[in-house]
Amino acid sequence: MDPAKTSLGKMLLEEITPVVMVLRTPLVEESCLKNSLSFIEMLSPFCDFNNIDVPVRTSSDQPYRLQKFKLRLFYESDIKQPDIVVAKERLKQVITEAGEKDRSDLSTDPLDISNILASSKSEISPSWFEIFNKELVRTVSFSEHEAFDHPVACVSVVSSKDEQPINKFVDLFNTNKLPSLLNDGAMDPKILKHYVLVHDNKDGSSEKATKILTEMKNTFGFNGCHLLCINSSQDEQIEHQDNPWAPYKFDSSPSQDLGHYLNIDDFNEIKDLIQELSSKHIIPYMEQRVRVLNQQISATRKGFRNQIKNLWWRKGKEDTPDSSNGPMYTYSSVESQIRVLGDYAFMLGDYELALSNYRLISTDYKIDKAWKRYAGVQKLGSSGRQYATRCGLWWIEMLKMKDQFKEAATVYFRICSEELLHSAVMLEQASYCYLLSQPPMLHKYGFHLVLSGDRYKKCDQIKHAIRTYRNAVSVYKGTPWSYIKDHVHFHIGQCYGFLGMYDVAFTHMLEVLACSHQSKATQELFLREFLQIVQKAGKTFEVLTLQLPVINTSSLKVDFEDHRTYALPGSTSVKESVWRSLEEDMIPSLPTARTNWLELQSKLLPKHKESNICVAGEAIKIAIEFKNPLEIPISISSVSLICELSATSDETNSDASCSTAGIWNNEEHENLSVIVTTANLILLANCREIISDTSSFSLSEVNISLGGGEANLVQLTVTPKVEGILKIVGVRWKLSGSVVGFYSFGSNYVKKKIAKGRRKAKQSPSNYLEFIVIQSLPKLEGFIHALPEKAYAGHLQHLVLELRNRSEVSVKNLKMKTSHPRFLNIGKQEDLDLEFPACLEKKTNVSPPANPKIASHGVFLFPEDLSVQGENPLLWPLWFRAAVPGNISLQVVIYYEMGDLSSAMRYRILRMHYNLQVLPSLDVSFKISPYPSRLQEFLVHMDVVNKTNSESIQVNQLSTIGSHWEISLLQPIDTIFPSQSLIAGRAFSCFFVLKVGTRICIFRVVGNQLSTEESTSSLFPHIGSNVSLVPDGSKGAPFDTSKSPLAGFHDYERLQHGILIRLEAENAVDFILISRPLKSNAQPGVADAHHVFSHHACHCRQEYTKLLIIISIYSTASTSPITWVVDGPRTRHHDFSSSFCEINFRMTIYNSSNALASIVLKTLDSTSISDQLSDEASGNQVGWHDVSLAKDSKIESEALRNHVRKSLLPESVSPFIWSGSSSTGVQIKPLSTTEIPLQICVFSPGTYDLSNYVLNWNLQPVKDHENVGERTQSSGTSLGYPYYLTVLPSD
Amino acid sequence: MIVCVAVVGHQNNPLYIQSFTEADDALKLHHIVHCSLDVVDERVNNPKKSGLTLNETFLGLLYPTENYKVYGYLTNTKVKFILVTTDLDVRDADVRNFFRRFHAAYVDAVSNPFHVPGKKITSRTFAERVSNIVKSFGLSSAG
Repeated sequence: MDPAKTSLGKMLLEEITPVVMVLRTPLVEESCLKNSLSFIEMLSPFCDFNNIDVPVRTSSDQPYRLQKFKLRLFYESDIKQPDIVVAKERLKQVITEAGEKDRSDLSTDPLDISNILASSKSEISPSWFEIFNKELVRTVSFSEHEAFDHPVACVSVVSSKDEQPINKFVDLFNTNKLPSLLNDGAMDPKILKHYVLVHDNKDGSSEKATKILTEMKNTFGFNGCHLLCINSSQDEQIEHQDNPWAPYKFDSSPSQDLGHYLNIDDFNEIKDLIQELSSKHIIPYMEQRVRVLNQQISATRKGFRNQIKNLWWRKGKEDTPDSSNGPMYTYSSVESQIRVLGDYAFMLGDYELALSNYRLISTDYKIDKAWKRYAGVQKLGSSGRQYATRCGLWWIEMLKMKDQFKEAATVYFRICSEELLHSAVMLEQASYCYLLSQPPMLHKYGFHLVLSGDRYKKCDQIKHAIRTYRNAVSVYKGTPWSYIKDHVHFHIGQCYGFLGMYDVAFTHMLEVLACSHQSKATQELFLREFLQIVQKAGKTFEVLTLQLPVINTSSLKVDFEDHRTYALPGSTSVKESVWRSLEEDMIPSLPTARTNWLELQSKLLPKHKESNICVAGEAIKIAIEFKNPLEIPISISSVSLICELSATSDETNSDASCSTAGIWNNEEHENLSVIVTTANLILLANCREIISDTSSFSLSEVNISLGGGEANLVQLTVTPKVEGILKIVGVRWKLSGSVVGFYSFGSNYVKKKIAKGRRKAKQSPSNYLEFIVIQSLPKLEGFIHALPEKAYAGHLQHLVLELRNRSEVSVKNLKMKTSHPRFLNIGKQEDLDLEFPACLEKKTNVSPPANPKIASHGVFLFPEDLSVQGENPLLWPLWFRAAVPGNISLQVVIYYEMGDLSSAMRYRILRMHYNLQVLPSLDVSFKISPYPSRLQEFLVHMDVVNKTNSESIQVNQLSTIGSHWEISLLQPIDTIFPSQSLIAGRAFSCFFVLKVGTRICIFRVVGNQLSTEESTSSLFPHIGSNVSLVPDGSKGAPFDTSKSPLAGFHDYERLQHGILIRLEAENAVDFILISRPLKSNAQPGVADAHHVFSHHACHCRQEYTKLLIIISIYSTASTSPITWVVDGPRTRHHDFSSSFCEINFRMTIYNSSNALASIVLKTLDSTSISDQLSDEASGNQVGWHDVSLAKDSKIESEALRNHVRKSLLPESVSPFIWSGSSSTGVQIKPLSTTEIPLQICVFSPGTYDLSNYVLNWNLQPVKDHENVGERTQSSGTSLGYPYYLTVLPSD
Repeated sequence: MIVCVAVVGHQNNPLYIQSFTEADDALKLHHIVHCSLDVVDERVNNPKKSGLTLNETFLGLLYPTENYKVYGYLTNTKVKFILVTTDLDVRDADVRNFFRRFHAAYVDAVSNPFHVPGKKITSRTFAERVSNIVKSFGLSSAG
């Protein structure tokens, strides 16, 4: 390979060439400056020979011909090492200039990495590197240790205008002005000298000059003198095509002025001068020097013997004193000579000789620790720490030549100095080497670019920083290395920000916004910087890919109302099927809906069967979740939907609108319809106009602020105002008040929905967000006032349903249904203004309750003549009772028809949904057992436990339902329950006597009066009897359980228990316990309802506003129609010494059935008492042991008092026997009693249980078969009740 | 001391990077790990030159930076493990041992049916296990 063709060779040939020192007088310079050129600049174009063709013979005997040759000309003042500061400045300037030139492509997008790899080598690394490297090399030129830059020759130039030119020549060699290299002995001062006389033809003819030349030749010798005539062109200026001086002129003066006084003769003269200087003087001189030096060095150093000698003797042989930099090598030292020899040989192209000399001297320098020189010598083969940049660069060129880019990159990396700018350039070059290496090392490429960019940025070389970072972007683009990407984008953004290119800065800053993986401090930094750039840009950005906040697409939820309308937002959370099942009895069946299809069917509807329907003027609600991925709060404002509404005046047009995306106009609403589907900001800008256009629909705007990591469900609405097709395209928001983000509910969402299959069956997913807007319709708004969210079980409240129709068109045929009639009862219209709870109290004038008009399946029909319209709301009373504890989802459906028959929809449905939490309050249980000593009477044991957390409850009243029951307290309430209130967690028990009342007459206590009323039980199914549990009757009249709403709720409770409303036939009793929480402990949450309600009804007794109604349904103990009671003495004193004791009893038997009963009483003697006791225990179905135990203890205490210690259980022999027949049969007529006398004989004192008898009964039906169905039990056996008799011995 | 361990997927996507220093040097370590991928590629593509035998998973010292030594390991599913340490005198056996245990932990982590292959490893158990391995690095053979 021809070394001259490689970049390394080229560089070496340019850089390592003989230097000629030029000494000149000011007048010479003056003449040259007429051409805007210095003297050196004038000569420079001719110093480069490509074909000098000079024979050279150096060390070897074989001459060769030198073809390429170049001279470097320097003024004597420039022959010194450049000042380090100046050099740096110069380098910086080069870099800055290069940066300025780069500006053109700053704003383009970074290339893709594959494109970069495909581009050619020269395109990859910027061209200014060469300039920079050259400048960098120049900073280390003219060092004392290498002979490349040591002047080989010296040219003295004097003008012909100078006085005494000969003396001037001598003066020029005044050593004061000469460079230090010559003076301090690093260089041989005896160099080749050449004398040139410059004559300016403008100053006259050259006669005088010729004369001086002759004089010069006499003085300095014939060969070394020259005459150079310049500025030969007379008067006119010469325009040089392809001006040869232009490349050499660094400052930018207009190039056509250069050399305009130099004509072709001058041209040739200069050329000849240089040619002669080179070929006849410099080359032969160097040739000669090489030969001489080679001879000397061969004699002293080459060969084995010399090397040994050198090792032994060289130390201490130095004749120059050590300086701080190590030993100085003067020109006369052997080392210098070797070095000069090597350099000269190199310059003359004798590379063999040069290399051998370099090797030789490198060992010497190493030994002397003259590192500076060592490095200089090492430059062609290895690296050095200091002063090594230049040799590094050369080395790199060499490696590059060998395609060892990876190694070259390593070298670049190693010649990075502490200085940032310098290392930035080196790192950047290193990165390109990594890119060029085979295979490309892209990771390292990126890394070094980032390193370099970082350094550039620190040095304020912003444009360079941008370039390197941008290249790095191409490496990291599309990879998940988010930390690195963030860093790169952030710095690019900052850099562009410095340059004021805010748009580009903005796009880069966008990339780092969603940096949830970064630390909080970094997130803050990123966001702050982002907002700063936005602020500096001073405008509002609109971005399609704004990643802040994150939009959770799967959370998208659309609420709209067609014929189904909703009272509250939460209503839509209920499943459609639940609503459907509620509504199915109310909605007219299909044929009726079609009766008037001729005029009613809208032309619109059949066409878009799949589309959703919404009504003009009614809002469509969209809920979508915004999530802040960062740890720092962000504020989002002006969140609104992007919608389009195309009117449907032109049908074909509207059809097309469904399928095509684009812009179209129609006659009525121009500029409305723009679909944003692609990343197109121009389109988005149009969208903004649409949003501001409020003529066809209106949008809601929401402002939210999201804390760190917070997610917020945003409710947005769009309200169409005209008919047409409405499409919801997306959502827009404003981040921190300055950046507008857009999000399109694209097709991906729809697809996802299909996959999940969550869409309602009716709507096809493709137009999920598309709505047909029909003309505005009346819409009922419903609201239940004061419905509590939380209530205790049994809580009873009077509520008002308010229905409002804002449109002028009336609605009619209202129907209503509730999902839980146990909880919510529909009242009567006259109940509306009732005072609660006073209305519950018994009143003297009782009117027969009229049931509300309930159609089949629990649908309530509002009065036919009722229509809701305009400002007047319809108020309707409702009764609420929290039936059972738990969480209740309460649905109310109201159906209504349009008053205007021409509307597109015939009916609509208002759906109301409430969630209730019902807390447990009182837990009531009853135990009923026959009263032992009375006929047709029962003992009721009521256990009440307060299950609330903190509430104190006062138990007010216990009522029985049913006309034939009477209840009364066993003991006065004061004695058993003095505190009257039951605090949380407490329980109390209470005994009542339940009596079977007469069928026809009902005794009711009203106040203190006893009144008897005739009643027809069919009208009063709920009439019962009450017992007040409040001792002081002043608190008010007892509550009437026979009227609405209590009766209504009671019916539903019975329904719930699956019991028919047929009280007469049942031996069951229903209890209603009325209690109220004491207001002192009322919970705040409940207290609200309390107050609201008191506003309506109660003006004085707030504690009355809350009632807990517990309805319990219990069966009486005996299902037998036969009841009996044994009557007789309980204790008897008898003197057993005389005879046994006979005791008489009377058994009264009552037949409560409608049939004739035949009864057989059997007395049993044989079985032991214990057996009988156990029998009795098992036979008692209710199993109320407490009572018998209580009796036992009473008897026991009695026995103790009488000092009688008798065993209750005597042994084998029965201590008493029944007298008389063991079986007695009687017949009892319906509803009548009979008496049977009984007698026992007791043989010894003791306490006896006279329960060892059995009653067999058999009902014989009456002839009329009125109540056949009710005769559930026609015969049976009843065991005897315990009856204790104590017989004491009388003394 | 181990400064950082990383798992890099076969498409050179980071699956797990955990630094064990107090300093906020995530970016630096990311860069180091990212750069070392070049060397991994080089080693893998020229197994003869780098002296790797066939089926050898341990890639050895990838490159020394000024302050760190970077070691690599390549599983047979082309998942790379990178270890960055500040210890200048590390025994090869220690590193091999470390990678062997690390590999076991990784296999367990990706065997989790809830782990999506190619996605970042978020398992807390894995993180704990790795930090245990890191803590015990060099102790077993030294003691």
